[in-house]
Amino acid sequence: MSELKETLKAQIIEQLNLEDLTVADIADDAPLFGEGLGLDSIDALEFIVLLEQNYGIKIADPSEGKEIFQSVDSLAAYIEKNQ
Amino acid sequence: MNMYFIHTIASISHQDSFQVPNVFEQLEKLGDDSDIVSPNYKEYVPPTALRRLGPVLRMGLTASIECRNNVDADFDAISVGTALGCLKDTEKFLVTIHTTTSDFLSPTAFIQSTHNTIGGQISLGLKNHAYNMTHTQNNLSFEVALIDAMMCVNEGKQNVLVGAADEKIDFLAQAQPDLIPDTHPLTSGASFFVISPKKGKTSIGVRDVYTNFNATNSDKDIQNFLSKNDISTDDINVILSSSEQSFSDKQETLNYLDYSGMHYSAPAFALHLAHDYLLSKDKQLALIINDMCPGRLGLTLVQKQ
Amino acid sequence: MKIHVTGYGLISSIGTNAEESIESLRNLKTGIERGRSQATKAYNLGAIHLSNDELKKRFDLKTDGSRTALLGMVAAKQAFEGHELSDEIRTGLISGTSVGGMDISEVEYKKYLDQDGHNPENYKHHSSGTSSDQIANELGISDFVNTISTACSSAANALMMGARMINNGMLDRVVVGGTDSLTLFTISGFKSLMIFDEDWCRPFDDTRKGLNLGEGAGYIVIESEKSLEITKKQPLAVLSGYSNASDAFHQTASSPDGHGAKLSMTEALRVANIQPEEIDYINAHGTATPNNDLSESQAIQSIFNDRIPPFSSTKSYTGHTLAASGGIEAVFAILALQNGYLYPNLNFKTPISETGLVPQTTFEEGKKIRHVLSNSFGFGGNNSTIILSAT
Repeated sequence: MSELKETLKAQIIEQLNLEDLTVADIADDAPLFGEGLGLDSIDALEFIVLLEQNYGIKIADPSEGKEIFQSVDSLAAYIEKNQ
Repeated sequence: MNMYFIHTIASISHQDSFQVPNVFEQLEKLGDDSDIVSPNYKEYVPPTALRRLGPVLRMGLTASIECRNNVDADFDAISVGTALGCLKDTEKFLVTIHTTTSDFLSPTAFIQSTHNTIGGQISLGLKNHAYNMTHTQNNLSFEVALIDAMMCVNEGKQNVLVGAADEKIDFLAQAQPDLIPDTHPLTSGASFFVISPKKGKTSIGVRDVYTNFNATNSDKDIQNFLSKNDISTDDINVILSSSEQSFSDKQETLNYLDYSGMHYSAPAFALHLAHDYLLSKDKQLALIINDMCPGRLGLTLVQKQ
Repeated sequence: MKIHVTGYGLISSIGTNAEESIESLRNLKTGIERGRSQATKAYNLGAIHLSNDELKKRFDLKTDGSRTALLGMVAAKQAFEGHELSDEIRTGLISGTSVGGMDISEVEYKKYLDQDGHNPENYKHHSSGTSSDQIANELGISDFVNTISTACSSAANALMMGARMINNGMLDRVVVGGTDSLTLFTISGFKSLMIFDEDWCRPFDDTRKGLNLGEGAGYIVIESEKSLEITKKQPLAVLSGYSNASDAFHQTASSPDGHGAKLSMTEALRVANIQPEEIDYINAHGTATPNNDLSESQAIQSIFNDRIPPFSSTKSYTGHTLAASGGIEAVFAILALQNGYLYPNLNFKTPISETGLVPQTTFEEGKKIRHVLSNSFGFGGNNSTIILSAT
């Protein structure tokens, strides 16, 4: 699981072009949206692309993403469950 | 006679032109391998926004923020010209749609590909709710944006942001000369200005702009334009042209494309040059001739009062 | 100064002229259907089923150009019919487009990627400005040509720019509007934003899921009083109000309270010098995305309070024609003023829970309609409103 989280962080940094961040800057439980990394609805769509391309998981309705994309923890848990 | 006074200028170009008092001081003719001289964008744009911005957006937004930093009030209108817009994101999304087989496509390049992303990012970056227009008309994109900005002033606006920005991508060379002329090396650039009905520090401003979309006799158009403004050719101190135009030995002439390189927002850089020329040499009149594309003529008269 | 409308023309998936369009509107006949090609069969689209060659032949087009330009020529020629060029009248074309010649470029770029018959000459059609040049050329207009590119509000902004150029004494007569063709680029783009409805779009309905794209063009001819004295044209309507404001909220999303939309509607009413209660019909932007329709509804409520005039989104007929939509909808507005039409908002069943607003759902005619307000909102927070009034 922790390996998955580290991989995820690197993928997030690349997919979202977070050029100033490193894997160490993202805490597992830190909120990704709003006050956390300051991500927005466009990033949520990029997360959907990331999950499909890297993990074969399809999220057809962007509103489902809200819960899943809360943090690296929640993302990893969702991937584990659905892969 | 209306004057549209220039209060501040911010240019990002292949010259050392950003935050310099006189752009002529370090001006050099560009070679084939010149590069954009970028300011530190991070000082202007927060990282969450910057990570998504392609070159033309970085340049346009940063030049606009710099203009805002140099004046006292929020812009009451924003008029942006761009001929080819966000080419990098456009190409990126073209590659995505032609190579991705998945049901899910990365949306960021598409979102950033529309021409009005420049103006939109300026309004977002400055939290500005005012009039916001994007004009695109090949080599005359800046002139039409300027005409709009001048109308805004006529309508009572006091602090109008006007500028133009274009970026090069490597692929653009493939589309020469059909999409853009090949007389000069391809470059990128953004020049933004704040114009106002009130005098600024320099009392230099735009006096008149003329466009012709079926220009068959540019000499005659120039004569008519000048006589409409009660000016004779000998009154002009400097001609900044996109070709080798000159009337007589009474004035200096320069081809601004030698300094900006080839992009359709170069006439905006020429206005920066004209301003700094009149200021540093204490002269009165400059004429910008934009004849980058056959049949499409733009004339801009710049005056120091 | 009064800005007189003396011509209109349009083409969309519901008709190649005003008569055909009104027939479709009257008979609740949408132009939205499943795409007919391999590339588009997964989408509901408002496509025009005429090839570029068919467009050229049927409408006798002399100028070559991208599909965007050809559609623009069809609509602009209709609008300009009966008008003559004259040295006494400075005539311009101001056209909105978001894709320009992308319909050609995207095919050419694929050939480049595949290294298969790439012909760079075809990029001469690429730029949006060139598509306007081509339309102007077809009409013989050369005094002024300008292209507005503010995404989905482009045509509305072209109308505004034209009116202001007349008011500023720079032009006497202007053909204004917009055009966009369907391209793989935009279809894929909106797909990537996940704001398509796989079914037929449902503007202002609580269950709406997204938009359907369409293609088309719409133009009107506007003239100054001075120009009218020379052209002797019969004014059909007056372009009485216009405004453009920035939402400055998000690159793609509208602010929840519709701040930019409120600003633009308020300013357009001020320019037209009329009160909200004088508006007889609103042609809403109404794309049927969850975000737009809620935001626009709330802006409408805040301006019109409990006296909301009949409103509808005709995008349930045409699909969202992007930069053309403000032009096509301006023609609908003029026809409403002339004939007392109210257009239905197809597919509406349940009001949006937050607002409870119910749009016009039937086609009506013979109503007394003096002022029509038309909204066009674009990406980048570009919000525009125009008001067309009876003469």
